[in-house]
Amino acid sequence: MKRMSFVQALNDALDIMMAEDERVFLLGEDIGHMGGDFGVTRGLFTKYGGERVRDTPLSEAAIIGTAVGAAMVGMRPVPEIMFADFLGTCYDQIVNNAAKMHYMFDGQFKAPIVIRTAAGGGFGGGPHHSQSVEGWFMNVPGLVIVGPSTPQDAKGMLIACIENDNPVLFLEHKALYRVRGDVDEGKFSVPLRKAHIAREGTDVTIVASMKMTHEALAAAEELAAENISVEVVDLRTLRPWDTQTVLESVAKTGRAIVANEAPKMGGLGSDVSATIAEECFSHLKAPVKRVCGLDTPIPFSVPLEKVILPNKDDIKKAVQDTLAH
Amino acid sequence: MDGNTVLELYRKMWVVRAFEQGLEREFKKGNVPGMLHTGLGQEAVQAAIANSLRKTDAFFPDHRAHGLLVLAGTPGEKIMAELFGKATGVCSGKGGSLHSADPSVGNFGDNAVEGSMMATALGVGLAYKMQKRDDLAAVIVGDGTAGRGEWHESLNLAATWKLPVLYCCVNNGYAISTAVGDSHATAELYEFACAYKMQSVQVDGNDVVEAARVTAEAVDWIRQGKGPFFIEYKTWRWQGIFSGEFRPAEEIRYWKEEHEPMKLARDYMVKNHIADDAVLEQIKAEVEAQVETWITFALESPPPDLSKATANVYVGWEVETR
Repeated sequence: MKRMSFVQALNDALDIMMAEDERVFLLGEDIGHMGGDFGVTRGLFTKYGGERVRDTPLSEAAIIGTAVGAAMVGMRPVPEIMFADFLGTCYDQIVNNAAKMHYMFDGQFKAPIVIRTAAGGGFGGGPHHSQSVEGWFMNVPGLVIVGPSTPQDAKGMLIACIENDNPVLFLEHKALYRVRGDVDEGKFSVPLRKAHIAREGTDVTIVASMKMTHEALAAAEELAAENISVEVVDLRTLRPWDTQTVLESVAKTGRAIVANEAPKMGGLGSDVSATIAEECFSHLKAPVKRVCGLDTPIPFSVPLEKVILPNKDDIKKAVQDTLAH
Repeated sequence: MDGNTVLELYRKMWVVRAFEQGLEREFKKGNVPGMLHTGLGQEAVQAAIANSLRKTDAFFPDHRAHGLLVLAGTPGEKIMAELFGKATGVCSGKGGSLHSADPSVGNFGDNAVEGSMMATALGVGLAYKMQKRDDLAAVIVGDGTAGRGEWHESLNLAATWKLPVLYCCVNNGYAISTAVGDSHATAELYEFACAYKMQSVQVDGNDVVEAARVTAEAVDWIRQGKGPFFIEYKTWRWQGIFSGEFRPAEEIRYWKEEHEPMKLARDYMVKNHIADDAVLEQIKAEVEAQVETWITFALESPPPDLSKATANVYVGWEVETR
């Protein structure tokens, strides 16, 4: 066990996989000698060289296309898209190429790529450096979406994703990069499609992921002082998400809050709350409540951004409202 | 070029022609679902490409390359059946005309979003280079692709990284109804590759002897590790647009009668005493008869098992069924 930041945990995972498997290589903008915009690939260029830690031009479609093509012939590419907001420029490669290939060629090809990208807001990044994009990709069969919330999960899930045969969109919330935590040393993997009960409780379930997991845990801590027992389910894999763990928790507590930083309409929060309503109706003591981003772009000015993005207090209020129902 | 090679190219061209004519006939009868893009008029290009690739190479076919899929080595009936959406097709009927992949012969499948596979081909080329193989990735694209961002991203990176990628640009003059020169800075598309400092050439795509010679040279160049190569094949497609023919009568006459690929090949062989009309007729008849057996196979094949509808969405994971 070692104390390290989210960034160091990701770096450790990449290092372990590159040392073990020469099919693993990285490509992206400024990931080489600079070590990436957020330092995730720092030191790997020196250790593994420019062939396997490959700097690219600002050609996101080519970055993903290159990764897909290499994966088709046995490589294990881990492309980085600097900011999740830029995924629009390679959306086609992900949606129509990586995610569909295994299906449309009926199993003859697969595209095991792990697209790492920095997502999420809260730091004044403005409209094109702050978005939570999971909703853009929720409707894409064949794609896996992962969003860890702790350094331990970041490392274990990145290793699991590199070893998985499906294309993965790996979301790294920027607000979590400097978060520190205990991380197991050496190689280990955290299973995909398995949510984690981040806090046990009996009165209400909060389903969250990434930064929202931390907001939910902070809310739960404060609510405990009011004798409210909150269970926090950290989804970790956002698509296909772990319905069993969520439904079991809601069946136990009878109340559900779904917290998601992205805009409410058509997003992950919608899918989770609809599934709870469909599958868990007889257990519910109150309607499912969503705590999501407002239906706007993300403004630059921080006070304005705070209006848009959900936080601990919004979650707390939702819990109180649900209990008062 | 030696006579036997030319005769073999001629046979390949007839595979393309007979396949497409049979397919078009069945499409009109309602036996082929979806949309149809035929390679009629572009036979020489496909024969030339097939002549130079080997099974360990990768190729990404374009919308009009059904014949090439067969020339690459997949049994014709399995391609035909795929186009009919049948269980016996190469992708169990799940891919269809635009996604009939067969890795066993290096066929990596078309991508219906024109140009997207130019980026995919980069990855295959890069991997082959990293794996120290001397195989290449060929990507066959139409002229309409030149407007896509991936066209430019791909040419730039292949040239920068010196990747073993062969660009086969089939310039048939029109992207559906829009003439190349009306929507691009140049109608001579190899000039784009020149701008990216890539070895490039323009060739008469209806002259199979010349097209095959140029393609073989390009493949040699790539196999020597000298980097990518771009070939622009000037040709013309017979198929009009959905509503019918839109091109001037004189243009149609030139390409379908005077500068028609089969005629040019025949003239070459007769002039050079490679074969007489009787031999050439024999080749045509043999290929046409073979294509009819593929069509019969496709017609008689069963539809895919309905469990295929939800199979292979994820590797190793099931999805909900109805």
